Amino acid sequence: MNAPLLDARDVTVRFGGLIAVDAVSLAIPEREIRGLIGPNGAGKTTFFNAISGLVPHGGAALRFDGRDMLHLPAHRRAAAGMRRTFQSVQLVPQFTVLENVLVGMHTGIADNPAASVLGLPGGNRGELGAQRAVIEVLEFLGIGETLLQRVNQLTFAQQRYVEIARAIVGRPKLLMLDEPAAGLSPGDVKMLDALLRRLRDEWGMTILLVEHVLSLVLEISDRVTVLDNGRMIAEGSPAEVADDPAVKTAYLGNENV
Amino acid sequence: MERLPWLRRGFAPVLCVLLVLLAQVADSYTQYIVNLALIYVVIGVGLNFLLGYAGQFAFAHAALMGIGAYTTALLTSRLYWSFWLCLPLSGVVAAALGALGALPAMRMKRVYLALVTLAFAQLVVWVLVNWNVVTLGTDGVDVPAPMLFGWRVKGDTSVFYVVLPCTALMYWLAKRILESRIGRAFVTIRENEIVARCNGINVARTKTVVFALSAFYAGIGGSLYALTLGFIVPDAFGLSQLVLHFSIVVLGGLLSLSGAAIGAVVLTALPELLRDLQALQEIIYGLVLMVVILVMPQGIAGLLKRWGVLPREVLARNWRALARETP
Ligand SMILES: Nc1ncnc2c1ncn2[C@@H]1O[C@H](COP(=O)(O)OP(=O)(O)OP(=O)(O)O)[C@@H](O)[C@H]1O
Ligand SMILES: [Mg+2]
Repeated sequence: MNAPLLDARDVTVRFGGLIAVDAVSLAIPEREIRGLIGPNGAGKTTFFNAISGLVPHGGAALRFDGRDMLHLPAHRRAAAGMRRTFQSVQLVPQFTVLENVLVGMHTGIADNPAASVLGLPGGNRGELGAQRAVIEVLEFLGIGETLLQRVNQLTFAQQRYVEIARAIVGRPKLLMLDEPAAGLSPGDVKMLDALLRRLRDEWGMTILLVEHVLSLVLEISDRVTVLDNGRMIAEGSPAEVADDPAVKTAYLGNENV
Repeated sequence: MERLPWLRRGFAPVLCVLLVLLAQVADSYTQYIVNLALIYVVIGVGLNFLLGYAGQFAFAHAALMGIGAYTTALLTSRLYWSFWLCLPLSGVVAAALGALGALPAMRMKRVYLALVTLAFAQLVVWVLVNWNVVTLGTDGVDVPAPMLFGWRVKGDTSVFYVVLPCTALMYWLAKRILESRIGRAFVTIRENEIVARCNGINVARTKTVVFALSAFYAGIGGSLYALTLGFIVPDAFGLSQLVLHFSIVVLGGLLSLSGAAIGAVVLTALPELLRDLQALQEIIYGLVLMVVILVMPQGIAGLLKRWGVLPREVLARNWRALARETP
């Protein structure tokens, strides 16, 4: 059996006295869509932040794509091939869609800076290739026509797609999505569902999906992990998790006590 | 949206030709003002990297310009080094010192960066005034006229032929840098460091680059300034110089390359046009700035872009070709 793409062991995040993520272990094999659910404040976003290197965290191990990430800063982890979106869309408002998505290609443009700035032959190869990749990914997401619009002129759904475009344009191995369906219409959620499947099946991407729209997570995920109060309380197939009494309790409150 | 595309394509070369024609007829004083304006284009573009694009509130630009000016003035007048060596060297010396500004920018809140760089600026002027043995203190330094292929660069018209190509080159370089992934990284760290980090941008390195780059422009500008004035004193690089730099960038337009150039020209020409109204000059100057900040936060360039006179600035090389391809 292959080693998992992401192997996190005992990841722990403390904010003062609060343990927001408490010894969570998660192993995701390649080409899997993993759902990560839990009630508000369960620690899902904080777990994302720990994996991406944005918050100081403890842990026994954090391996990604065969490399140890535990002590790497966020930008090196991103460069290694993990990309994410944010619970509230984070784009550069003054930028056009083109520029925003090109930010996702930052590490993918290997041009020699001097050759690129001075316009020497071949100095722009990476930049031009990146621009092609942006156009391609926008077409793939069905928002090709927004290329040169400023992002603050777009609809909310379009902005979400631009953020996803930025995350996937460099073809990362791991894509982490923090509530991508929040604020989308049912029609848009359907499109998102189809999109994530294509990313897994056609692009070979591994996806970690935090989502409150349970119908989406349970339908699309290969496996689901459930957090509550920073702890992992269940993991399994969508059907197993949906039937788990501990999960029901976490979601409905402690009615049995 | 773009009403005058022909204006864009031909603009820079036509402007250069016009300036050269002007140099044939201009009196020495007019030529001197044109030279100053060109130098402030370099200065303004340099500060806009830092303040506009990367959003770093640092106040060392005037001091770094002074360091560039003194590097050139002292090495040419006291050690007889060639001006042509001192010009790039002034940029490099300023860049090396300016890069240090990235240190406080990495670990401190904005207000501390402002205070630390302001203190640095004061310190530089203090050293220039008090380290008499080297800097000649408040007596100032004479800058000898450089030689170029046996031709002596003396007088405002000769200086113009040095300044114009330098400014054109620096402007072109700035455009190339901004339209690459480096330029986009500047704006991304200004807007959202978390997004930058999660997309593989090394924030510390990017800050070091932008502080050094901005200072390099200040140093080159300072060197050309020393050449143009022929005589410099420490006081020239104090607070009023700094205010002028900030005014250029804010009036012209933050986040706009042409804006910095427009700001430089307007703010060099304006005081001269108002010379007959000596008493009112400062008031008018202040009023203009206030109105700009309140009414047009994007500066003159923002306004001209809205009217379709100035083209959009997109930080991606080749974007116009893409625009034609994708309807
Ligand atoms: N920067 C922080 N400082 C202190 N406490 C924090 C910080 N970030 C999150 N927390 C706390 O950590 C806990 C987990 O928060 P987190 O945002 O990870 O939950 P979540 O599962 O993403 O919730 P939601 O579904 O509402 O997005 C919460 O109690 C929250 O208040
Ligand atoms: Mg959250």
